[in-house]
Amino acid sequence: MKLNSLISATFLSIALLTGCATTPMATADGYKEAEAAAKEAIKKAASVGGEWRDTGEILEKAAAAAKSGDYETAVKLASKAQHQGELGYQQAMAEKGAQPPSYMR
Amino acid sequence: MKKLLLIMTSIVMVTGFAFNVQADPAQDLRAFQDFYKKKFPDVQFDDFGNGIYALNKQLRDEWEITMEFPPYELTLDEGKRLFNKPFKNGKTYASCFKNGGKNIAQNYPYFDIKKGMVKTIELEINECRERNGEKPLKYKKGPIVAVSAYIHSMAQGKRTNVQVPNNPAALAAYNKGKEFFYARRGQLNFACIHCHGANAGMKVGGNILSPALGQTTHFPAYRAKWGAVGTIQRRYTGCNKQVRAKPFKAQGEEYRNLQYFHTYMSNGVPLNAPGTRF
Repeated sequence: MKLNSLISATFLSIALLTGCATTPMATADGYKEAEAAAKEAIKKAASVGGEWRDTGEILEKAAAAAKSGDYETAVKLASKAQHQGELGYQQAMAEKGAQPPSYMR
Repeated sequence: MKKLLLIMTSIVMVTGFAFNVQADPAQDLRAFQDFYKKKFPDVQFDDFGNGIYALNKQLRDEWEITMEFPPYELTLDEGKRLFNKPFKNGKTYASCFKNGGKNIAQNYPYFDIKKGMVKTIELEINECRERNGEKPLKYKKGPIVAVSAYIHSMAQGKRTNVQVPNNPAALAAYNKGKEFFYARRGQLNFACIHCHGANAGMKVGGNILSPALGQTTHFPAYRAKWGAVGTIQRRYTGCNKQVRAKPFKAQGEEYRNLQYFHTYMSNGVPLNAPGTRF
């Protein structure tokens, strides 16, 4: 029983870790997938005023890399843009209702 | 007894929290200005409008020498010319502003209850143009800055006097501006207050950070970095970029609300626009 639990936990951990870190394949289709995810994340961040300065530019560079056939770079950059979009959204949501620091109350 | 204590504690926490969240603009103003007065006890209240030059004698001496021939002068002259130049229908900007535009800038931005929005001088310059059959100007730089600088110059010495009326929409705009000011943003995760609050007077990249109190009184201002006179919303754009946040549209709701809160916090500091910053 204990062994079964240990094996299950190990598989679950691996699945969680690899699942979270999964990036699309370095192919034209993989890039399209990564680009769509990045655009969605950026749109979500922008909807709450949380978009970061360079995110759009990173996605543009990804598009340029894809155009030149460098899908590895393209997917990497698009994933970076997606990550920034997600962080920007989280940041804006966390800062809702921000108040003066304690030294200014 | 324990139950009673728990209930009492809960009441204090809940009411205390509600009080904190609903702090009214006047309370905010007092706490804000008190902080800077205590942080910089040697700075006279009116001198906060001079930014870092109120904090550093050497920089102030250099700045005062420069002000013998202020670099904004040509822009100000152009603003005066444009302000008085008749539109195609013969009217001028003076027809759109109270008191012909004299001694009014200290009251801006204000909340227009009828329209349900914060109004800035630049916004009203363009509204004036459109009402008189002229095309609106681009915000942040160019002719609109010159006209705005001239209108501000006509209120030099008047104390900032922004009002937040007891109106739900006005309070909402004020609170949105307040939230913007205190919210972390961008990849560097900085809020306005992080540079211009406790760290005011400290150096970042060789530049001294100015206190937030008094920052609004000298805009539009000539900045050496721009090599031109620009609006405070242009400065907001730059600040947001510096913390790696995507800036908002000039004269959009976000920056107008921010300017409303930011200027209200400087109530009482005399206007000294156009200013010069190096």
